[in-house]
Amino acid sequence: MAETVVQLRDVTKNYRRDAFELKVLQGITLDVEAGDYVALMGPSGSGKSTLLNLLAGIDQPTSGELIVAGQQVSRLGESKLALWRQRHIGFIFQFYNLIPVLTAYENVELPLTLRKSSRAARRKRVETALSVVGLQNRMKHYPRQLSGGQEQRVAIARAIVTDPTLLLADEPTGDLDAESGGEVLDLLGQLNEQFNKTILMVTHDPKAAARAKRLVRLDKGRLVASAPGGGTGA
Amino acid sequence: MIKLIRRNLLRNKRRTFLTMASLAMALFILSLLGVVNDAMSFADDSAMPDRLVVRNAISLTFPLPEAYEQRLRTIDNVVSVTPQNWFQGVYKDQRPENFFPRFTIDPATFRSVFYDLEWNEEEWEAFAAQRTAFAAGRELTEIQGWSLGDTITIKGDIYPIDVELQLRAIYDFDEPGQERQIFFHRRYVEEAMGNPGQNGTYWLLLDDPEAAPAVIAAAEAMFENSDNQVRAETAEAFAASFTEMLGNIRFFFSMIGLAIVISIFLITANTMAMAARERTTEVSVLRTLGFRRNQVLGMVIGESLAVGVLGAALGVGFTAVAIQGATPFLDQMGFGFGGFALDVQVLATAVAIGIAVGLLSGVFPAVAAARLKIVDGLRRL
Repeated sequence: MAETVVQLRDVTKNYRRDAFELKVLQGITLDVEAGDYVALMGPSGSGKSTLLNLLAGIDQPTSGELIVAGQQVSRLGESKLALWRQRHIGFIFQFYNLIPVLTAYENVELPLTLRKSSRAARRKRVETALSVVGLQNRMKHYPRQLSGGQEQRVAIARAIVTDPTLLLADEPTGDLDAESGGEVLDLLGQLNEQFNKTILMVTHDPKAAARAKRLVRLDKGRLVASAPGGGTGA
Repeated sequence: MIKLIRRNLLRNKRRTFLTMASLAMALFILSLLGVVNDAMSFADDSAMPDRLVVRNAISLTFPLPEAYEQRLRTIDNVVSVTPQNWFQGVYKDQRPENFFPRFTIDPATFRSVFYDLEWNEEEWEAFAAQRTAFAAGRELTEIQGWSLGDTITIKGDIYPIDVELQLRAIYDFDEPGQERQIFFHRRYVEEAMGNPGQNGTYWLLLDDPEAAPAVIAAAEAMFENSDNQVRAETAEAFAASFTEMLGNIRFFFSMIGLAIVISIFLITANTMAMAARERTTEVSVLRTLGFRRNQVLGMVIGESLAVGVLGAALGVGFTAVAIQGATPFLDQMGFGFGGFALDVQVLATAVAIGIAVGLLSGVFPAVAAARLKIVDGLRRL
């Protein structure tokens, strides 16, 4: 039986805006097992990105239990949370968010600089990650010298270079044309199938969602459906 | 981390350069003010604690009777007394390079009070024997290109007479600036003026510096009921009063310096805040990747510190080069008659200020960046 990577139990998240309290997530209960590929869909404002932020440990739930990679995330302090993120979370942003003053190689190397490892060991991991995304020949390029699809692939390499427990992708194809988006989805599928990476992807695109093994729908902060997806991952 | 700091500094080269250049320029001006300030305080440093000055209580512009010299000599602990008068006058023209202090003295008593000037005995004898002779500091003779035997004319202004003088002696002194004055016979001027029997100041040498307060009190009491009351003070206080007469320029310069430091701090802080604010999303991305708050703090402060250190190095380097060229010009301005010299302490202060400005200007944006919630930073796309 596969290990459960994500366990959410009755998770709520409220935001206070002046005198109003916005209930963004209400009673979310969800399990994600190792090797799963989950697409998270729902209309704007349904709480998809908030849920992703909670799973990444960059936001805290108002109540409920949130266990990711065996760790009760809400109990970690700022410093330990940063260390936990570094070890267990790979995050892929919609707008890539590469550091413009660093090359593709240096961007991918960035998470590794936080660990104690030799330059040679780092180099090996960075080159492996960049070859997985097919950009081993673009290592010295700066983000401005890459296409949007290539930038997102570098961002994926940055997310996988530490071999994290969970890959979180926030609309990874949202800023790409159909062809580049398709390549990114192929890559995510490959990571799930060949490298058994556990992926949770927020998307508006039904075609992208169809590539996932499981589809979870959110509406007005509630989980309204969880069903097998159309894809096998690849 | 260092690579990221370096790359971020080069991200907007023009802004980084302009910030560094403005810091460097401010530190250059600050160093220059420091050098001028130091030069003006020179007189204080060279004033001996065992010498007192007696002058007219109303003002330096009012003379004292010649007879006071003998009476001052009778005060306990007074070893010697010598008169000294500020002649002023004009040498050649009014250009700054031709201005230097000109005093009339009495060769018979001068060296007994001003024992610290070094003379060639033969030259001194020649100077003392010739009423129209003058003695000059070695530095001044080098600046003016004078040799022994040369004759100069000083046109009188305070005194309505022109004096023609022949260089007979050159003295040395181990303090810079004190070699840039001339002395000539007061008797020469006295006779030309019809023997009014007056002196501007009397300088007293004490056998015990500790006795200064008692001698000052005695001197002032001695002439309390006369037409010409006196003010007595240490040579140090006398020199300091000259600086005060310049309108407290040193305080004014210090205020300018402070204003420069505050201005440059605000400019640098604003630039660093702008630079940090532009990268709010990037900071949040770094923290999503696992960077801790103190690492973000260190990165932003590191950047502004680098600007401060480089700006300070640039400013101090520029000062070191420029001061060499500016020294003659500054010297000619005549503040305090002192020598302008590159002072390590002034440069060290400028470097410290540069580093402090860099450090402090980075603190606020760094704290703001480190405290920002990651999700808030990511929303600012």
